[in-house]
Amino acid sequence: MGMPGRPGDHQWSQQHLSHYVEGELRPRARRRLDRHARNCVDCGRGIRAMRALVYALQGLDGLAGVRAPATIFDRVRLAGAGGAPSHHA
Amino acid sequence: MPPLAGQRPHDPAETEASLLARAQAGDIAAFERLSGAYADRIFMLLLRLLGDRSEAEDVAQEVMLRAWQGISRFRGQSSYFTWLYRIAVNEANRALDKRARRPAGVPIGADELQLPDSPLRDPSRQAENNELRQALARALAELPPPLRTAIVLRDVEGFSTQEAAEIAGISQAAFKSRLHQARLRVRAAVGDQTLVSVGG
Repeated sequence: MGMPGRPGDHQWSQQHLSHYVEGELRPRARRRLDRHARNCVDCGRGIRAMRALVYALQGLDGLAGVRAPATIFDRVRLAGAGGAPSHHA
Repeated sequence: MPPLAGQRPHDPAETEASLLARAQAGDIAAFERLSGAYADRIFMLLLRLLGDRSEAEDVAQEVMLRAWQGISRFRGQSSYFTWLYRIAVNEANRALDKRARRPAGVPIGADELQLPDSPLRDPSRQAENNELRQALARALAELPPPLRTAIVLRDVEGFSTQEAAEIAGISQAAFKSRLHQARLRVRAAVGDQTLVSVGG
């Protein structure tokens, strides 16, 4: 059984799933992908997978407790001790 | 994107503009106040891009040194935060270039990549989340640095496409291309089954 829609729709849809979930597709392109995905198990799952991926990546922003090391300005202080590097207001 | 809560200068009279002017005149304390407001976020970004705490600590020092050395040339075309982030991305990429000759990729530590707890507190769900976190960590670590930078800035750090492209120092069109490539690769590496069953 062939892929639903026009020839090339499947490959094109797979390549544009990220654009689709990002909302970047023009209306005509979005309709093309919607139409294809309605009858294509792979692309329907691909949309769900891409949305889940973006959600999971957003969930990685869980480093709120991380603090920069106290040494972060050590090299600045060392450089400053030798004189400011050509600063002018 | 604003700094994390509680990280702005404490004295309201000490605005970013006044700190910047003093730092540009060579005042290190002002520079530390100005840049210190963003230090935690810069360090988190470096952890994500480098995946190695000791290397992130080293590069973080280098980022601040570069910023200090270049602050007199900062003309405010972007926000100070964006400018500092851009230095951090450049320094991270420089560090990754140095590392590139190593035979194996350095994994991003799983501890650095945390998924939110499952609201159900279901042990099997937690195990699935952990599996997904590990798979994402491996997939991100295997991305070429430009693609990793794109997906970290946009999806993990939550910058808009415009902000992220500015930080990466490329056009929005080029940035989107990298982002979509990165997502396709990570999706392929993690697998639809895992993504849909855990995150769907």
